[in-house]
Amino acid sequence: MSSIVLMRILESAPDRYDAGMRVLSLGAVPRAHRAVAAAAVWRPGVRVLEIGCGTGALTELLVDAGAELVAFDQNPEMIDRARKRLDGSANDRVTFQDSTAAEMDRYTQQSFDAVAAGLCFSEMSASERAYVLRQVYRVLKDGGRLVICDEVEPTSHWQKIVHLAVRIPAGLLTWVITGTTTRALVDPCGELRRAGFRICSEERSWLGTLAVIAAERAT
Amino acid sequence: MSARDTTLDVVQTALRLLPWPTEPGLRRVGDPGPESPVLITGNYDLTVRRLIRSLAGIDAWLVVAPSQGINVWCAAAGGLLTSNQVVTALKTCGIAEHVRHRRAILPQLAATGVIATEVSRRCGWKLRFGPVYADDIPRYLAANGRKDDSMRRVRFEARERIEMATAWAAPTSLVAAVVMWFVQVSWILSAIALVWLMSIGVFLVFDRLGRGRWPLVWAASAVAPVACVLIAGGSTAAVVAAVVCATLTLAVLTFDFAGSTPTEGGSHFESKDWAITLDTDRCVGVYSCWAVCPEACFERREDLRKVELLHDDRCIKCGACVVQCPQDALYFATDDGRRIEPETIRRYKLNLLGSRAVDTGGSGALGEPREALHK
Repeated sequence: MSSIVLMRILESAPDRYDAGMRVLSLGAVPRAHRAVAAAAVWRPGVRVLEIGCGTGALTELLVDAGAELVAFDQNPEMIDRARKRLDGSANDRVTFQDSTAAEMDRYTQQSFDAVAAGLCFSEMSASERAYVLRQVYRVLKDGGRLVICDEVEPTSHWQKIVHLAVRIPAGLLTWVITGTTTRALVDPCGELRRAGFRICSEERSWLGTLAVIAAERAT
Repeated sequence: MSARDTTLDVVQTALRLLPWPTEPGLRRVGDPGPESPVLITGNYDLTVRRLIRSLAGIDAWLVVAPSQGINVWCAAAGGLLTSNQVVTALKTCGIAEHVRHRRAILPQLAATGVIATEVSRRCGWKLRFGPVYADDIPRYLAANGRKDDSMRRVRFEARERIEMATAWAAPTSLVAAVVMWFVQVSWILSAIALVWLMSIGVFLVFDRLGRGRWPLVWAASAVAPVACVLIAGGSTAAVVAAVVCATLTLAVLTFDFAGSTPTEGGSHFESKDWAITLDTDRCVGVYSCWAVCPEACFERREDLRKVELLHDDRCIKCGACVVQCPQDALYFATDDGRRIEPETIRRYKLNLLGSRAVDTGGSGALGEPREALHK
């Protein structure tokens, strides 16, 4: 019984991912996705690469905003869900690829106007993130944009206290509901700057734990 | 071993059902150089620390792959340690700049999730499946990567049994203690003792009782609540205690030991009908199944250049042989002719058949179309 319950929890994780994220973030994630799409697609027809598209929540918004999109995810089940989410005509404007971020060296250098990533840098290890940022820099055109939304460590004192108090129970809940473990980014802007990006804007949710960051590839 | 290490060992063993992530990336063990061996493991903290301890005196590179803080075997069976995570770790941790060779050793139990040939195609590293246990790695390296039979088999001795019993008893006794706090505070210790005794008892004997275990457990579940009520004299608290006892025994009764022990491949539930099947015509004697089977179910027949599935009674349906076979000569099948194809097994890596059987529609259709699979 007990092991079967655990098994069912794990295997149904992809189904619950979207709803889980919406609930756990109190609606902040869908808002952040809209902000990312608006910043990454500044005019229709821009060529965008989406890292870790998951179930396609952000993918859908990017396509709706008029992007010509290449979206990849390392989990083929997630890609199936993303495909189903988009209607027929939208599917024509996306190329889905089953790939890890570590294989971004397959893309031609300076071939994208923008790179978008929703909630996936916090799932990467520090060394993976450094590698991916080098690749993002390489595939972006001069002045191209990197727009991310992700879980971050808050900066103000009262936010830190709240964050500390809920981190362990929230982490457990996230793991049980979505089957993922994440680590809030401590200094995302610093990491982007060190990778050669110029920060254009940073917006945070009211608890300071979710950030939308738009950056430009410095030339 | 430092005090910190010991404390962590105890806490992580007691709460091993939770993920214990450690930072993925490259670790140096001893003073490794450009020709030193490269070992890969998951980012389960307990494993990484134990592995480093068992490598005392050896110079090696350790690549910690992101497995969501879950141990190698569970992560590989549950789709959290697959070719993706190994490719990611090898390409991003910087190991390529430190060594001249491109050979890496994975724990044998990762074979359920990581496809060696695929990793090689995707990032150029050649993988070998090393021993099951970290303790055997020094002997394995000294023997130039030759495994003897003992390195290939999963053990379930008293030590492992008590570890698993602890993993179940610790969180359960916590819950029992909280319940008793509201029922009758003076019973907290007895409740905890009961949980531990039951856990250890069950894990020490369950597979030795064979089919005889069910009547015994039924009897215990009937006797325990009655005993509780008698001892406590029929108060409300005694009734609650009886319910708790009955629930606990029911939990034990319906417990499927697949996944919690390395000796059972699903005693009930959907997995019990499926059996590993060898298509002898397809087998050309690569012996990858023989190399990764943790229960030594296969025998090599060098004279025929084929394997024989001689000991399928020991099979726990981990699927490692199916995943690794480059000839697709192994699959799961039922007596009435339904089968799950290797590509489905590779795609739906989940816990000893659970979602694999479900995702063929339960009907035994031939699985998902190939175009949707990993390229």
